[in-house]
Amino acid sequence: MKILVADDSRAMRMIVIRTLRQAGFAGHEIIEAENGAQALEMVQKQNPGLILSDWNMPEMTGIDFLRTLRGSGSATPFCFVTSEGSDEMRALAEEAGAMGLIAKPFTSDVFEDMLSTVVS
Amino acid sequence: MSVLDELEEARGDLEGLLVDVLESVFGEEAAPAWEAEFGGTRIARARLAIHDEVTNVYTGVEVCVDTVTARLLAGRMLNVASPAADDLLDAVGELGNIAGGNVKSLLYQHARLSLPTPEILDAAGVTWEPAVRVHGVVLGQTVELAVLPEYAVGGLAWPPSQLDEVLETLP
Repeated sequence: MKILVADDSRAMRMIVIRTLRQAGFAGHEIIEAENGAQALEMVQKQNPGLILSDWNMPEMTGIDFLRTLRGSGSATPFCFVTSEGSDEMRALAEEAGAMGLIAKPFTSDVFEDMLSTVVS
Repeated sequence: MSVLDELEEARGDLEGLLVDVLESVFGEEAAPAWEAEFGGTRIARARLAIHDEVTNVYTGVEVCVDTVTARLLAGRMLNVASPAADDLLDAVGELGNIAGGNVKSLLYQHARLSLPTPEILDAAGVTWEPAVRVHGVVLGQTVELAVLPEYAVGGLAWPPSQLDEVLETLP
């Protein structure tokens, strides 16, 4: 499976990719984007099977990325990985069509629980 | 009661939050500390602000480490032995982002978080504004988390809200 990781911090993209491996999801092709706009372009060109996206990013936020994606008819599984895990944001994420929200800091167990239905 | 006094009431929670963040990011045990003991003459700092949309008040969040700690942090996060200057800024910015997001979730309901602005400064030139400052120690290094009332937000960047513009461009 192709997995898109969108985060404006290269350090955080590395941590997300490492945590995917630690959660037992090794061997998948990882593609990276620095913001929502770039991620949107990559979805159109590369058709990933799962999207892991930060919320607060320059150019286009994660929630705007998700809403635009769903507006275009895409049903690609989408999970936020973000530093803010308030009830309000979780509700917004769910309403926009996200499968969930993983709050930073996180553990590989959280990744496993959240993503095992989508990634083998 | 002043805003600073109100923030002071959250000191215990902020201390716990900082220790949790440090343990997760460094992958090592962390502990609270009484005060900052920065080594060297340079400091790496991430600045963010939380905009309370109900009261229209800005609260600052700053995470400070010395450059030795920043180098350790970047090495851990990026899995590299010799992180470059940009790596230090990226790592400290992300540490600030994680701390800022958690502070926002702890203290506010309807608020916006800015993007992190990381910088490396001469320690002698840093002005220490009134704030609630908590400290954590990880790998023998001190990290400071400061929450500042009535924050001056000049120079900070905010995430855009471009959805309407984007939707207009869709076929």
